[in-house]
Amino acid sequence: MAPLITVDRLTKDYRLTVRREGVKGGIVDLVRPRKRILRAVDEVSFTIDPGEMVGYIGANGAGKSTTIKVLTGILTPTSGEVRVGGLVPYRQRQSYTRHIGVVFGQRTQLWWDLAVVESFRLLQRIFEVPEDRYRSQMAFFAELLGIDEFLNQPVRKLSLGQRMRCDLAAALVHEPRVLFLDEPTIGLDVVAKENVRGFLRRARDTLGVTVILTTHDLGDIEQLCRRVIIIDHGKVLYDGLLEDLRRGPGHRLRLCLDLAEPVTAAALAAATRDLPVQWESDGAHRHCALFSRAETTAAAILSRVLAAHRLRDMALTEPAIEDVVRRIYREGLQPGQEANLE
Amino acid sequence: MSELVLAPWRRAPGASLRLYLGFARLAFLKYLAYRLRYYTGVVSYTIFVTGNAYLFRALFASRPETAGGVEIGGFTLPEMITYIAVSWIGRSFMFNNIDRTLAHQIQQGEIAMQLIKPFHVQTVTMFEAAGEAGFRLLLFTLPIMIVVVPLFDIGGPPRAALYGWTLLSFLLGMVINCQLNFLVGCLAFYLKNIDGVIRAKAITLDFLAGVLVPFSFFPGWVQTLAAWLPFQGLSYVPVMIYLGKRAGPDLASALLVQAAWAIGLFLAGRLLWARAVRSVTLQGG
Ligand SMILES: Nc1ncnc2c1ncn2[C@@H]1O[C@H](COP(=O)(O)OP(=O)(O)OP(=O)(O)O)[C@@H](O)[C@H]1O
Ligand SMILES: [Mg+2]
Repeated sequence: MAPLITVDRLTKDYRLTVRREGVKGGIVDLVRPRKRILRAVDEVSFTIDPGEMVGYIGANGAGKSTTIKVLTGILTPTSGEVRVGGLVPYRQRQSYTRHIGVVFGQRTQLWWDLAVVESFRLLQRIFEVPEDRYRSQMAFFAELLGIDEFLNQPVRKLSLGQRMRCDLAAALVHEPRVLFLDEPTIGLDVVAKENVRGFLRRARDTLGVTVILTTHDLGDIEQLCRRVIIIDHGKVLYDGLLEDLRRGPGHRLRLCLDLAEPVTAAALAAATRDLPVQWESDGAHRHCALFSRAETTAAAILSRVLAAHRLRDMALTEPAIEDVVRRIYREGLQPGQEANLE
Repeated sequence: MSELVLAPWRRAPGASLRLYLGFARLAFLKYLAYRLRYYTGVVSYTIFVTGNAYLFRALFASRPETAGGVEIGGFTLPEMITYIAVSWIGRSFMFNNIDRTLAHQIQQGEIAMQLIKPFHVQTVTMFEAAGEAGFRLLLFTLPIMIVVVPLFDIGGPPRAALYGWTLLSFLLGMVINCQLNFLVGCLAFYLKNIDGVIRAKAITLDFLAGVLVPFSFFPGWVQTLAAWLPFQGLSYVPVMIYLGKRAGPDLASALLVQAAWAIGLFLAGRLLWARAVRSVTLQGG
């Protein structure tokens, strides 16, 4: 399939003025300002097919919002190329923005002083949405987001959750082909998050919209995206299936044992001396073995332990996606975890 | 290379006009909701005019009587008071805060929310200003006129046709003011501390527009300078037309110069905006 979005060696630098300290520094700044270049996005490349919903994640300051701003035509790249549906966002802004929907969770695109419904009427006019399409879209939003409850309130009086629901609807009212979501669940409670996710799933399935989503809540990604792109310090660290990330060889399962008698971690380590296992203890009775599927098995560990100790209970847990991602943010990719996109 | 192609899209000119008029209407309604704030403004404008009028009365009274009555800088006292009243009435109509609002939006990064919409931000700003001006005309300038005109017994222009030309000239002045404010607001893309610039501009503007005192009170070089700047089109030019001091070819050329400034500054705003949006980065999450 031909991709809808092509990002090719996208680089974006910010120029910062670095302030010197003290009065003398201030005066020197006036005469000879010190500039520093910050590379927020560094040769990022990826393509996205029509209908995909891709999670774009990374630690704070990784360059997610910057990428989204280039993709939405707000920023011009320092170098590299971006094309969406054959258009160059920052060059053909008017034409391009007709086809995209955008949510920046931290801001609203609605008019602060207007009632919600007036904002939507204005959007209808801005995007030239025919009346029948407008009505059916609004019915869709009423059903899935419940925005009909506060249509007549001014935007400035909405709660964060209500405002976010309105912003999502506003991003979709003109049935865009592509949707860019920068932290669409920020600050929402558990139920509101569930609603937003449910809505996005329906929007993807019924409207067929292509979505790029940034978030710090990996629950969003787990529930919505098969594919993730992880970026770190402006560089793509991983681009592939979420599932592969979790099952990747660098990631360790946790086998927790409840033993009948008190045992030291050293004794367990001695018993499994021939296996690549790391023990963590939680009291004298409870010990957990961390191991990688590629290197050994739960059965091997168990047989060594059972030879010397009596077992009361046990549990085997997959690594939580949070743990996997936390480790990647902290330590980078593990060997064997390189992007393996089909 | 993307194969799936998003169709180029253009709004029909008629639809564009309707959309932008919609922004004017919304601005009008927004200010209508805040109309109470403007009642105090009526009082303060009346006080400005009164203060200035008494100042000039004192000034004229201090001059020795001559055969043709006292005249300063080519103005008689009644002309002078009319000048003051009409220029403040005009100012009440064309004043706006585009510069401040735009600068704020740029500094806070809110302007990004406009860049993701298929319209031309400068045009939207202008139509919103027009909506605001419409509101001001009806609910601010008109009340001020109702108070000030009888209070100072302000007479009409020497010829009835001058009403129309004055109005046109004030409209052009309002357009020039909008363009200037837009340009100043855009500077926020480049300057960290734009508030100082905006304040300095506000003071310079009242002076160079001739709201406070007509230029004929100043030395020749100030008059020459003012003639080469766009600011006199805001106040001095329309009021001089009202007083009948611009007649025939002078009147036509005064209006043409105003129109030229309006267009020139609009184009300058367009250029600056396009350049700034392309080269500058916006703040915030
Ligand atoms: N307008 C700006 N001027 C200068 N530097 C900026 C600007 N915007 C972002 N940066 C810097 O660029 C880098 C990437 O920022 P960006 O906002 O893209 O990160 P992010 O991945 O969205 O982070 P977060 O998860 O915190 O939202 C950061 O180091 C940030 O400080
Ligand atoms: Mg961000």
